[in-house]
Amino acid sequence: MSFKSDYLNKLKESLRVDPAIKRDIVREYHAHLEDRYQDLRESGLSEEEADKAAAKLLGSPRFIAKQIGEVYSQGTWQQAIFAALPHLLVALLFALHWWKNTAWVPAVILVVIGIVIYGWSHGKPTWLFPWLGYCLTPVIAIGTLLIYLPGSWAWLAAIAYIPLTMTIILSITKQTIKIDWLFASLMLLPVPIVLGWRLALGIEDITQWQARLYEAGQLIALTFATLALTAASFIRLRQRWAKAGALVAPEILLLIIVALADKNATSFWIWLFIILLAVVLLLGPATLEKKIRQGHTKPAKF
Amino acid sequence: MNHERELLKGSTDLLLLRLISFQSMYGYQIIKELGRRSNGYFRFKEGTLYPALHRLERNGLIEGKWIKLPGGLERRYYFITQKGNKVMAERLSVWQNFSTAVDLIMQPSSG
Repeated sequence: MSFKSDYLNKLKESLRVDPAIKRDIVREYHAHLEDRYQDLRESGLSEEEADKAAAKLLGSPRFIAKQIGEVYSQGTWQQAIFAALPHLLVALLFALHWWKNTAWVPAVILVVIGIVIYGWSHGKPTWLFPWLGYCLTPVIAIGTLLIYLPGSWAWLAAIAYIPLTMTIILSITKQTIKIDWLFASLMLLPVPIVLGWRLALGIEDITQWQARLYEAGQLIALTFATLALTAASFIRLRQRWAKAGALVAPEILLLIIVALADKNATSFWIWLFIILLAVVLLLGPATLEKKIRQGHTKPAKF
Repeated sequence: MNHERELLKGSTDLLLLRLISFQSMYGYQIIKELGRRSNGYFRFKEGTLYPALHRLERNGLIEGKWIKLPGGLERRYYFITQKGNKVMAERLSVWQNFSTAVDLIMQPSSG
C-alpha cells in the first residue's frame, strides 16, 4: 500500500463526522495528495520519495481528524430540533393519550421508518440516530411481550424472534459504532427508558396495564420530553466528553424517576441492573469502537 | 518562532478570506498562492489548511463546490460569500489600523 493510501485510510478511520462530510473531506485530501505528488515528481523526486513526502507534508492524520472533528462537532439548531423530534413525538403520544387511538401508533411508526430510510440513504446525518433508536425500540418491546405468550408459543418466540432481532440490532449498532460510538449511544438512548417503563407498569393484566399507562401518561411524556432535550443538547455541545455526559446523566436520573413511579413492586436490584445496563449501553460502544473499526477498515474511496 | 506562529494563527482567517476574495481557489492552490505572494514567508502546515477552510465554510463565510477541471480532475473550489466579504472588510480595516499604529510606534521618535 502506498503512503498516500495509508494516509487516507488513517484519516478516514480517525474522522468522526457525518459520513457525507467524511467522504468529501477524504476526497479533498486525496486531491491535495495527488497535486503535491505531481509537483514533487516534477521537482525530480522518485515515485516512492514523492509518495512518502506528499503524505508527510500533510502532517498527522489523527491531528487533522481531531481538528476537523472540532469544526463539525457542534450541530446546527435545525439538526438539534430534528434529533429531538422523535422523542417529542413519543412524548406527545403519551401526553395527549394518542396511544389509545389505534391509528396514531402505526402512523408514528410509519413516519419513523420513513425518516430512517430517508436518512440512511442520504449520508446518515447525526439527526438520524435518535430516529433509528425508535425503529429498534418497538422490536425490543415486541420481543419482551412475546415471552408472555401462553405455553409453547413463548418458547417458539424465544427461539425464532429473539435471536433474529438481536442479530438485526447488533448489526445496526455495529454499523453505527463504526461511524462514531457516540452516535450508537444516541441511538440506544430510549431503550433503557422503554424497558424501565415496561417494568414499572407491568403487563400481567391488559386492562390494569392500560389503566396504569393512562395514569402515568404525563410522567411518561415528561421522560421522553427530557430525552428530546438530551438529544438536542448532544447535537449542540462541542466536546465529546460533554456529549457523553449529556447522554448518561439525564438517562440515570430518568431511570431513577421511573423506578420511583414503579407500581409493580420491582426489586431494587432489578432497577440497579437496568441503570447499569443503561450505562453499559451508552458507554459500552466506546470500548468496542476501536475493535470494530480495526476489523472492518475498508480502503478509502474517492 | 512561537510568537510568529501566534501571529499567523490570529491572521489565518483574514489571509484566507482575502485570498479567496480575489479569486475562487482550491486548497492546494491556496497553499501555493500564499507561499508565492508572501515570497515563501507563509508556509502553512498543509494538512491544517482544510480544517481552517471548513471552519470558515461552516460559519458561512466561504462556500465549497466541486468543479471539474479541463483534464477531468475534480477540485473543491472555495468562493467567498456575501457574509464573508463583509467580515473580511471589517477585519481588514481592524488589521490596517493596528498595523499603522504599530508602525507609528516602531518608528524612531522625531521630536
